[in-house]
Amino acid sequence: MSLLKLEKIKKSFTLGPVQVHVLKGVSFEVHAGEMIAIMGTSGSGKSTLMNIIGFLDQPDSGRYLLEGKETARLSDSELSSIRNQKIGFVFQQFNLLGKLTALENVCLPLVYRGIPEKEQKPMAMEILEKVGMGDRAGHRPMELSGGQQQRVAIARALVGTPSILLADEPTGALDTRVGQEIMDLFLELNSTQKITTLIITHDPRIAAQCPGTVRMQDGYVAGTEESP
Amino acid sequence: MILKANLREASRALISSRQRSILALLGIIIGIASVIALVSIGTLVQRESMRQFMEMGTDILSVQAEQGRGGGSPKGFRLQDIVIIPESLSSIATVAPYASSYGELRKDGKRMSIPGLGVTESFFHMNRLAMAEGRFISDLDGTTAHACLSSNLAEKLKAQGIATHPGSELYYDNRKITVIGTLEPAAMGGMRPYEIQEGLLMPLPAVQRMSSQSIISTFMARLSPGFTTVQGTEEIRAHFSALPDRMEVRIMSPEEMIAHMERQFRMFTLLLGAIGSISLIVGGVGVMNVMLVSVTERKREIGIRRALGARKKDIQWQFLIESVLLSLVGGLVGSLIGVATSWGIARFSGWQFEIVHGALVLGVGVSVAIGIFFGYYPARQAAALNPIQALRTD
Repeated sequence: MSLLKLEKIKKSFTLGPVQVHVLKGVSFEVHAGEMIAIMGTSGSGKSTLMNIIGFLDQPDSGRYLLEGKETARLSDSELSSIRNQKIGFVFQQFNLLGKLTALENVCLPLVYRGIPEKEQKPMAMEILEKVGMGDRAGHRPMELSGGQQQRVAIARALVGTPSILLADEPTGALDTRVGQEIMDLFLELNSTQKITTLIITHDPRIAAQCPGTVRMQDGYVAGTEESP
Repeated sequence: MILKANLREASRALISSRQRSILALLGIIIGIASVIALVSIGTLVQRESMRQFMEMGTDILSVQAEQGRGGGSPKGFRLQDIVIIPESLSSIATVAPYASSYGELRKDGKRMSIPGLGVTESFFHMNRLAMAEGRFISDLDGTTAHACLSSNLAEKLKAQGIATHPGSELYYDNRKITVIGTLEPAAMGGMRPYEIQEGLLMPLPAVQRMSSQSIISTFMARLSPGFTTVQGTEEIRAHFSALPDRMEVRIMSPEEMIAHMERQFRMFTLLLGAIGSISLIVGGVGVMNVMLVSVTERKREIGIRRALGARKKDIQWQFLIESVLLSLVGGLVGSLIGVATSWGIARFSGWQFEIVHGALVLGVGVSVAIGIFFGYYPARQAAALNPIQALRTD
């Protein structure tokens, strides 16, 4: 059984008088433990696709099965709870909260899960150590480099043991060397911990390192590839 | 459990926009301060007048001679018209006439202007006074220049090193007077002439002899048991209009006195109440403004929190707690200022001061209510943000 299955997903937006069809019937599936790059130029619909996969948005039509369960017509609080439990977001701009320390940032998903404060800290600390940021737990994002911030963000995405790690241009704001370090971290997490990872990118060098690639074009999946 | 995290983050957010928060709070501070001052002063006044009437009883009338209209020289009562009242009117048990004067008290080269009061022996029981030292004026003192000191005056003199024990001698209006006693402090206001606290009491005939200006403008009358103030008032009025040179009198009963105080206080209530409620509305709008700005500034944060699994409800709570905390801080500062203000007014008016706990509860309650009321809309706005758009804002 696939972890995630999209069937003929369609999504359009109304911009003034114009109806823009962003996704025109996207189908593909992801199995547990896979690491797949979703490639496409800007305007290909990959961001909208990511929002739908991440339950930030819902499709107009088509089916989205997560762990075999239909996810249509969920209420806002059900969507929030799925985001909290099943999805780990990593953003291009890191999106850490500046007033919180690295450790507190990592605790956030646990806060919204209602986990007692005493249990949050050890869980967050453990995962920070896993991404190599254990010695920076008390620092605020301002005091960290871009690569370090992204490591904290990855820890935050992983702390709730989600089904999918969903990364949107995770190396886009980093220079090549640091970007490669982050990419290595994703690869390592995938191979050692079997963490299912979807990386949205327009960078072929990033996509080439992922075992699988889904190519988006004009609202359709133009092709899927498996790297050797 | 989210509450604790929310509280911590709310205080952080407020501290980081300190200046804006403080400005927004001015309205709430002024509003709560006026409300607290209003309520506590109201309570203090009430307790003060209650204390007074408890001490003096509510069966006392104060009778004043109407001043001659159209520039006629003020004419007071004749002593003999007053002293016959308890015998001739069945509703009145005792009377205590008094005459005010003003003079210079002198001793050892020190001078001070002091109000004086000519009284009779009955004045002591009428006002339920008590002696701290020595004895009170007796009717047997006649025109002898004996003086009884009020507690405040005795303290003032002692502070200047002037002896006040019975037998000490002072000069009042260039006449030598002998101290015969000192009064215990008495609650002020209402029926009691204020000289009881600040001045010098002497036998009525002695004061009248010292100055032709000292007229008996007022006397106090205690009702006989079983008679109402209305009966007493009517009999006194009839007594004075039956005199050969018919006199008009103005009679104050404790009921009227209380009503008078309440009228005075109502003005005060309206004024402070108006200032208070306008400031509270202005303050509330200030809080709403700060919160709306805060929501706009933190759109991205809201988006991030939503992506991490915060429900609309969680976001709404976060901002609601922040606005309640904000106005609660204003409420606490306002309460402090309000208590200080009422302390100042009580001191100035010579009332006994106490902290009115009900007022504090009210102040805190009102500020929390304002935080909820004016924070609800911004919190709703924050919760209603589309997470995707919120994430895209810079």
